[in-house]
Amino acid sequence: MFKYILLIGKNLRRNLLRTTLTALGTMVLVLVVTLVWSVLYLLDGVMAEKGANLKAIVTERWQVPSQMPFAYARTLGEGAARNAGDVRPQDSMTWQFFGGSLEPNKRTREDLVFAFGMEPKKLATMMDDLDNLPAGQSQQLQANIRLMEEKRQAILIGRQRLAEVNKRVGERIKLYGVNFREIDLEFDIIGSLPPGRYDQFAVMNRDYLNEALDNYPRTHAGKKHPMADKSLNLVWVRVPDREQFSRVADQIARSPLYSDPAVKCETASSGIAAFLDAYRDLIWGLRWLLSPAILVTLSLVISNAISISVRERRLEMAVLKVLGFRPGQLLILVLGEALLIGISAGLLSAGATYFVVNKWLGGVALPIGFFPVFFIPVNALWWGVGIGTVTSLSGSIMPALSAGTVKVSDVFSKVA
Amino acid sequence: MTASQPNLVLFAFSWQLPLSLAVPLGTAGAVVALLVIVGKIPLSYNVRNLVVRWRTTLLTALAFTLVISLQTVMLGFVNGMYQLTDESGQPGNVIVLSDGAVDELVSNLGFSDLNDIDHHPGVLRDEREQPLASREVYLVVNQPLSAAPGQQQRRRFTQVRGIEDPLLATRVHGLELYPGGTWFSEAGVQAVPGAWGDEQQQAIQAVLGEGVAGQMGQDRGKPQLEVGDLFELGPRKWVVVGIMRSAGSTFGSEIWSKRALVGPMFGKGAYSSIVLRTQDAKTAQQVSDDLTKNFKKAALQAQPETVYFSKLSETNRQFSTAIVFVAIVMAVGGVFGVMNTMFAAISGRTKDIGLLRVIGFARWQILISFFLESLTISLAGGLLGCALGFLANGWTATSIVSGGQGGGGKFVVLELVIGADTLFAGLLLALAMGAIGGLLPAISAMRLKPLESLR
Repeated sequence: MFKYILLIGKNLRRNLLRTTLTALGTMVLVLVVTLVWSVLYLLDGVMAEKGANLKAIVTERWQVPSQMPFAYARTLGEGAARNAGDVRPQDSMTWQFFGGSLEPNKRTREDLVFAFGMEPKKLATMMDDLDNLPAGQSQQLQANIRLMEEKRQAILIGRQRLAEVNKRVGERIKLYGVNFREIDLEFDIIGSLPPGRYDQFAVMNRDYLNEALDNYPRTHAGKKHPMADKSLNLVWVRVPDREQFSRVADQIARSPLYSDPAVKCETASSGIAAFLDAYRDLIWGLRWLLSPAILVTLSLVISNAISISVRERRLEMAVLKVLGFRPGQLLILVLGEALLIGISAGLLSAGATYFVVNKWLGGVALPIGFFPVFFIPVNALWWGVGIGTVTSLSGSIMPALSAGTVKVSDVFSKVA
Repeated sequence: MTASQPNLVLFAFSWQLPLSLAVPLGTAGAVVALLVIVGKIPLSYNVRNLVVRWRTTLLTALAFTLVISLQTVMLGFVNGMYQLTDESGQPGNVIVLSDGAVDELVSNLGFSDLNDIDHHPGVLRDEREQPLASREVYLVVNQPLSAAPGQQQRRRFTQVRGIEDPLLATRVHGLELYPGGTWFSEAGVQAVPGAWGDEQQQAIQAVLGEGVAGQMGQDRGKPQLEVGDLFELGPRKWVVVGIMRSAGSTFGSEIWSKRALVGPMFGKGAYSSIVLRTQDAKTAQQVSDDLTKNFKKAALQAQPETVYFSKLSETNRQFSTAIVFVAIVMAVGGVFGVMNTMFAAISGRTKDIGLLRVIGFARWQILISFFLESLTISLAGGLLGCALGFLANGWTATSIVSGGQGGGGKFVVLELVIGADTLFAGLLLALAMGAIGGLLPAISAMRLKPLESLR
């Protein structure tokens, strides 16, 4: 067996140029498939219904964006539980969106900072991807949460956005309200959000926004702010399983407290799927056009290289047959060459993609839904091996069969 | 996705080849023609070899075909998005939003804010001396979709535009109805049969854009909703009274209805925007500047409609970047493939090359000969790829156009646009792949020494 593998290695080494070109072709195509599958993997993951530890979203029933009165916050956070026996969520979180411009007179997208107004402590328990940070980042986040609870004017801004608006941690900024007109708030940037999903966003203490809304009538002849009763955008609740989710959703749907506006409760995956519905054709194209086409292209590249190699070595195959190699062994020899190139190039490419994208580039910026960047999952290493195996097998099966069926007499008669 | 019939004949007569693509293609063609005419290249020898090694030629060309057809379809998608953002705005229109709002969705104009805006001297008037100003509310509404038992409940974000005066709005936006349709009435509702066929209920009259009509039609297994069809949205039943001729604009993905009904129903009492028609693009810019700077009654943000829609092209730009990246990486894969083929072709024909040198062909003629062989494979694969990709011309797909940070954006149904520039970009990429992949092998062929080759 070992000698067999050595023979395969020697064969590949004999035409290093061809081996290298085939491996490089495989690597770049595996790179594309890895990127595409990483996007699909994340989207499938967020849209898959979980059986346990579910997050549910409560939003306004009809209108997008959802705008509910903040008075809904407390009872929705309790899952509208009113009677003994009603189910209460394990945890909850409210989101109030505050968009502010750094310039009072030039309110363009370039100057905008978009912040989630929330209870700071929920950052570590309810926000996706922030509840399972590495130790160092988690400690830093906890420290920032404590600061935000002590100081209402504190704000955390995503690294990318911070760089784009040319601000640094420690600076004081003033945001002129865009969706809350005439609510202009001063903030101290106490830190940045952990890298990844929230690179473009900011997080502020919700009490600061609500205080500003409460104070508004004092300076406006007792008139409430136009958004005063529309400041709550989303309520998130965590429930242990689907049964509890159904009961909480039912409690909320039946409650008389939420009639104007009416609300709806759905699983986070269902809510996200609705947002991603607009991209369904794009996702379909990635899944069923781009990925298969690249895999076929890859098979063609490998098939071509192996076919050429087999055609050039027909005499050698005939000699091997004379020496006692059976057709099956010749077939395995050729398949082995293709597999060795495919698997090693696939693994190398997927590993390099994982390292370069995650560690060096900080993710791939592709604006699908509210996912500003995509990272390569560790599973990609197996994808590389899998793609290499499948494409090299499918590409080399025909040349390998032809190698196995070489007729010694034909080959030697041509040589003679 | 659905396919519409691509009209190849029309396309052939209506293409407009961009200069940036025409120049390199033309230059390459001219150089090749010149070389063939004066250079005595052994072309027939190359062609015969391609035919003899037909399996290798076919496999390499097929790889080109796949890469180019994918690139063509992907570029067609982005072209469709750009068409929406480029063609939705009228050059003479001004869109007025509330100050700071980067999109209609987050704009709130109070009723009192709008007084006097439409009386601006730059605004055109109709035959009745009414200013051509359309007051509108733009809403996005959750529309639950029917799901099979056991499947996840699906929803769609449906865009609704509440209009005060539909006739005025169509003149401002330059839209019209397909024959057989009407605009909604003054009341904005009409009686339709109830659930059991006997009782009557008031349904909201709706005019649908082509895209949304097709999308909602697919829910019912038909090409599109038609006049008289009923559908549910929010707490009410709606009846289709007309279909807008609106392909290629974002309005094609909207439902238009009576503002006084839909605004309050979906929680938006105020207007989102007022759109003013002026004489031309220059006047539109002047009116925009004047309103933004000098209108004192309320803080406004006025801008030419074309500028507003061009700001929604951030997603297009990001998708374009991603597509160009994917195309380039795939092309690199193709280059390695063709390099492999050509190196193998040369190693199998060293004696031929030696003989060609002995009978008088110069080194550079050998180089051109093998270079052309590589270009021929890439051209054949590229042409087939372009033809396959062109089949997707006119397919419809859903997406979002948005300006990025700041919220907003529009859910759109777009048509893939595969024009001459996209096809020539595909051909150019194929030729570039063939040239890069064929150059090194051709140089190695050129460097072969005749006597050593013949040994």
